[in-house]
Amino acid sequence: MSKPTADWERVGDRFYRKTQLYTSVFDQDLELENYVIAGAPYSGALAFYRDERKIHTYRGTQAAKSSIDIYSCAGKLIRRINWDQGAIKGLGWSEDEKLLVVTESGDVRCYSDLQSDFDPFSLGHGAEAHGVIACRFWSSGFVALLGNNNLVAVSQYHEPRPKLLAVPPEEPVVSWTLIPPAESLSRSVEVLLAIGQTIFVVDATDCEDRGLDRGPFKHISVSSNGKYVALYTEDGKVWVVSSDFQNRLSEYDSKSKTVPKDMQWCGNNAVVLAWEDEVHLVGPNGAASRYFYDGWVHLIPDYDGVRVFTNDICEFLQKVPEATEEVFRLGSTSPASILLDAIDQLDKRSPKADDNIQLIKADLDSAVDACVRAAGQEYSIHWQKQLLRAASFGKSVLDLYNSDDFVDMLETLRVLNGVRFYEVGIPLSYDQYMRLTPERLIQRLINRNEYLLALKIAEYLRLPTDNIYVHWACQKVKVSSDPEEEICQMIVQRLSGKPGISFEIIARAAYDEGRTKLATDLLNYEPRAGKQVPLLLSMKEDGIALDKAIESGDTDLVYYVLIHLRKKLALASFFRTINTRPVATALVESSARDQDTELLKDLYYQDDRRLDGANLLLEDALKQKDAQPRIDKLKLASKLLQDSRDHSFHAKALDEAQRLLRAQEGLEKDLSGDGAVTFAGLSLNETLHKLISLNQARRATSLQSAFSVPPKTFAWIQLRALVDSRNWNALEELSRQKKSPIGWEPYFNAVLGAGNTRLASLYVPKCTGVGPKEKVEMWIKCGMVAKAAEEAYKSKDLKALEELRGNFGTAGQDGVEIERYIGLLRGGKR
Amino acid sequence: MAPIVTLNTSDFADQVRRDLLQLLEGVRGKKNLVIQKDLAGTVSLCVKFSTLQEYGVDRVFFLENDNVDFSQRNVVFLVRGEKAKDAGMVAEQVKRLRSESPQDHEFSIFWVPRRTLIANQILEDAGVLGEANVAELALQFVPLGDDLLSLELEDAFSDLYLRRDPTPIFASASALMKIQQQMGLFPRITGKGDHAKRLSELLIRMRSELTTADSVSNRGSSLGLNPSTSIESLVIIDREVDLPSVLLTQLTYEGLIDEFFHIESNQVELDTSITGTTGPAASQSSTSQQGLKRKVQLDGNDTLYGTLRDSNFAVVGPLLNRVARRLQSTYESRNTATKTTAELREFVTKLPGYQAEQASLKLHTNLAEEIIKHTRSETFSRVLEVQQNIAAGADPTTQHDNISELIARDVPLPTVLRLLCLESVMNGGLRARDLENFKRDILHAYGHQHLVTLTSLEKLGLLTARGGAAANLVGSQAGKPGTQTDYPRVRRTLQLIFDDVNESEPDDIAYAYSGYAPLSVRLVQCVLQKSYLATLSAGNRGGGAQQLVAMASTAGTQGWRPFEDALKSVRGVTVDETQTGEEKAVRARQILSGAREGGQLKTVVIFFLGGVCRAEIAAVRWVGRRLIEEGKNLRLVICTTAVVTGDRVVGAAIEDNSFSR
Repeated sequence: MSKPTADWERVGDRFYRKTQLYTSVFDQDLELENYVIAGAPYSGALAFYRDERKIHTYRGTQAAKSSIDIYSCAGKLIRRINWDQGAIKGLGWSEDEKLLVVTESGDVRCYSDLQSDFDPFSLGHGAEAHGVIACRFWSSGFVALLGNNNLVAVSQYHEPRPKLLAVPPEEPVVSWTLIPPAESLSRSVEVLLAIGQTIFVVDATDCEDRGLDRGPFKHISVSSNGKYVALYTEDGKVWVVSSDFQNRLSEYDSKSKTVPKDMQWCGNNAVVLAWEDEVHLVGPNGAASRYFYDGWVHLIPDYDGVRVFTNDICEFLQKVPEATEEVFRLGSTSPASILLDAIDQLDKRSPKADDNIQLIKADLDSAVDACVRAAGQEYSIHWQKQLLRAASFGKSVLDLYNSDDFVDMLETLRVLNGVRFYEVGIPLSYDQYMRLTPERLIQRLINRNEYLLALKIAEYLRLPTDNIYVHWACQKVKVSSDPEEEICQMIVQRLSGKPGISFEIIARAAYDEGRTKLATDLLNYEPRAGKQVPLLLSMKEDGIALDKAIESGDTDLVYYVLIHLRKKLALASFFRTINTRPVATALVESSARDQDTELLKDLYYQDDRRLDGANLLLEDALKQKDAQPRIDKLKLASKLLQDSRDHSFHAKALDEAQRLLRAQEGLEKDLSGDGAVTFAGLSLNETLHKLISLNQARRATSLQSAFSVPPKTFAWIQLRALVDSRNWNALEELSRQKKSPIGWEPYFNAVLGAGNTRLASLYVPKCTGVGPKEKVEMWIKCGMVAKAAEEAYKSKDLKALEELRGNFGTAGQDGVEIERYIGLLRGGKR
Repeated sequence: MAPIVTLNTSDFADQVRRDLLQLLEGVRGKKNLVIQKDLAGTVSLCVKFSTLQEYGVDRVFFLENDNVDFSQRNVVFLVRGEKAKDAGMVAEQVKRLRSESPQDHEFSIFWVPRRTLIANQILEDAGVLGEANVAELALQFVPLGDDLLSLELEDAFSDLYLRRDPTPIFASASALMKIQQQMGLFPRITGKGDHAKRLSELLIRMRSELTTADSVSNRGSSLGLNPSTSIESLVIIDREVDLPSVLLTQLTYEGLIDEFFHIESNQVELDTSITGTTGPAASQSSTSQQGLKRKVQLDGNDTLYGTLRDSNFAVVGPLLNRVARRLQSTYESRNTATKTTAELREFVTKLPGYQAEQASLKLHTNLAEEIIKHTRSETFSRVLEVQQNIAAGADPTTQHDNISELIARDVPLPTVLRLLCLESVMNGGLRARDLENFKRDILHAYGHQHLVTLTSLEKLGLLTARGGAAANLVGSQAGKPGTQTDYPRVRRTLQLIFDDVNESEPDDIAYAYSGYAPLSVRLVQCVLQKSYLATLSAGNRGGGAQQLVAMASTAGTQGWRPFEDALKSVRGVTVDETQTGEEKAVRARQILSGAREGGQLKTVVIFFLGGVCRAEIAAVRWVGRRLIEEGKNLRLVICTTAVVTGDRVVGAAIEDNSFSR
């Protein structure tokens, strides 16, 4: 076994290593130099697109057809997407392996899951007119540079909202890059443009000149943590500065006359320059190392390093991780390296093994940890094993050690080795895996149709497996040529008893393939009613869709179906559909009431709901401004109810309303002599009230008889109106009448309440329904103590009299009267 | 194993606040907030305006006013997404701003409580979906007190019973589902009423859907699959089952405040003559534009109010007196007792609390006096008299003269309608001729537009003719058994009339209505306070009732037993479901929690679908206190769609337009 340090290279005071991941990657005929290549983050797929600016060998019509080819890192063709949409100006990946293709005219296609189905959207903001020049991508978005130097940013692909950033100066852009939102200080994307001698920083609101004078910069690149920027000057120098352009960190002279074709960061501490077959690795403080290759070289930067591709090999260039350096560095005396040595000694059955352990006894636990960590960074299975054995050996010596990390690492390595296998071709590093997360790794495997491996890993890591099954079933539905019943049966059989399976997704896939029958069959297995609705709608199963929506209880869904149906169906059949479903009818009614009264009218007409129809017309009438249209509407309403015996009262009331409106109109005309008087909008009682207040008693009584208002009601209205208008004369007049339909107490109370005690007193004798005690009270309230005393005397209530005396004293006329009555009463008793 | 979590109402407000602020933070820079009117109060229960300002909200506009200006680049809408009408308004305003404004705007729309398909559709049709950032704010339950959660769906009553739109049921189910996801399943669901049935069905359906969707979304929520250890059960009462309890005038202090001044989101707008110049809750109150009114916060934080609110109004006066005297004596003690500096210091530290209490005392004294002004009026006592007589089951025709007179005297329409509806509901409708007369009287007195009102009331089943032809107006169900509550019978079997109730030391829930026990809360007692209720009705009947007592006292009885018979004469179907989890998990949990089982306080969630009034809340609280006294470790939490009053219930039917120009 070769030493792990064999491919290490010292750059300044650090070590870098170049791990060969795969060999004989691409077909020798594939001319890498003629392709634009974009790699998905975290060792994801590679997208190839033939660079149209370059001349290429003519190979017959077949090969001339342009396409976007997706390869794994091991050079396996995953998918070929035919392309006929014109020049591609941006090709990039998102973190979840969505492929983004941007055309010159600003059209964007987002291919999910490595499939050839896509979601299109358009950049807008003048992209069509000015054309897209280039695009830069980050994990969840991209920025497009337009012909007029405008920048358009898209920050998410779920519901893309292209936004125009601040407008930079119009001079030509030499090179440019961006700082992703997650790494920038402002938490929104920042674009660095090399224009002229300097660099402009552009965000959503500002475009700021950084005031540099060493340009023009041929290349510009930002480190993966967004803290450093590398600039390549025209005279062949690499500058590394902090991303706020305040500190200059290092400088390197490539001494090359040709400008490199690419410059990328390798992690956060080295810059890689690539010429056609030469690569320079520039570490801190300008130290550098050179590598030479046989063929054309492509750089694919990743989070913790750079992948280097030629036709023959795929290599991963990274800084040697600390744990690895600690264990393997030549002459290292770290506890971990001694522990690793102990394993060697153990294999040789040498007692030195124990000596080693004794030597590092004090640091044994940290040594074990270091070995575990170093194992994670190793690509070679031999050294992984060796390191883990060392860890295991060290662990056995320790009394107390928490093995969780050790166990986790074992699991992780099994997964990593599984996916690194060349047929899968995902050469994840440990750090990349940690950032990618197991769930997304499984998603990537599903996208590559590696179902078995995905299932095994999901089960091994105790993750949900339903999406794997669903994806498998979708694929089955799409490609299988078996009879539909068999497919359905097989899918159901395979998936039965698995929790969380969404048959809706599978059914939709079947429907999209045009297998309607299969889709319907599959949909029946979906337990969530609500989920079935959208698909049923697109399958034109309107009735079932509506039923399922109602069943789900979610009115939003019902509304959704209803809107859909309303747009699609003729009115009559729309009504027929909702007719048998009370909930649907209620919802149509409810929403139409707010928005579309015409629809409501039709609905009521269709259902022969006359009362509701009449009420609707009444409401209409209420909205009219003038009397005549109001009356017309009311007429219509009452006509609607004419034939129906059940609604005779309603019809009569509507007629009455018309008569009242007419009467009010007449009154307004008659009484407008003394200033404008309005009656419209008043109820009958209010009209009467107003008439009486206006001293139009005659008109009031005629109105009363015309509408046969009961005398009792009229009496109350009259009383209120007279008191409200302080018409004491009329009230006094009334008090001379013999009888009142409501008795006289209300008069007393109302007049007293209005503060007229004199008038109130007139009613006291007429109140026949109250007892003597109350009458005494009433007199007192009017301030007529003498009368009160008389009343008390009449009822021979000595106690009340004495109370009166107590309250009002014996002074004055009243006092004398009280005394007199008391005397009379006492005398009477004696 | 899941930790034992208790249902804490303030958590709901915290969650909403966190979510809203996070959403606001997502919109960079200053922004104008456009909010739907009925959401404003709800949001204010969770977040203070000053906090919103800290998060960049510059000005707040009401959606209904359609007056948002161009002052800020960012415009944020906070609107309910369930109704097409509201979504339409948002779309209109976005379009208006876009065409009129001199500058570009960034629109954000936060849908409450979720983003709906219908709202999407409407925005898309209006061509604004592409321009707005859309998010959702899961604002469902908000706490109105430490035992009271409300969805604050003002329209729930009219939606459910007038328009027969089941949206509120779905909203309730989703909100309750959320509780289940946090706390575990309600081990038992009991309920009464057709809508209660629908709600419980939805809950069970959602549970099964959650189980299937479980591993899709995340594994953590599998907690929701097992019955809760901290919640005892869920009791659902459909408002339709018991309408009289809202139609009757509430006689608790809080109930009367609500009746007269209308409490909205725990706030009530009062004349400055009542509040005085220095508001008691100065921090909470803000002067409104008129300058004469000011808003006062009414909640349990005000200790005095906490003790007063559920008392019958008759005893509020004496209670206030007692507090006044106590305050007076403590204040005077300053002269006699403060001899040492230590004592003086102690006195001074108490001073702020004392002053707050003094201010609160002043407010409530003024408020009580204001209420007395109303209750002393002749019409109020007349109305009350009619109500009590009808409730007690007196021949309703004897009350007709009174009602006619009230109409002639032009008392507010809702008051009259409440009386008529009460009579109709309690007696299974009015005699056709009487009904027609009253209808005519109402049209004459309040305007013919109320033909619509009357039809709506009929649809609601609130005001109907007895039997006969009018029955088919109510809907096809009328006439079938179980569609009407048989009050004469229920009054007897469930002891709805409790004549000599002690108002100062309540001995029955009837104290909240001075003699009438709300049926809704009696139903709750059927589930929770079986032996009490059985004893109560046994006293009345003897004979077989003893058996009832015996059955009720048996420890194991759950659900509606042994009151099934009484329930048969109450409107609507009866619900009794148990929810169990996977057997293994349940057993494991039992073993684990077995040790703690004894002393742990369990929660019973009582959900009033369609609304609940303050007097009923007071009655439920009384039941809760009683249960504690009986030594049961139960805590009652009331949830509802909205707090209602009788005026608001009949108001759902009232036509607002008139013929005036």
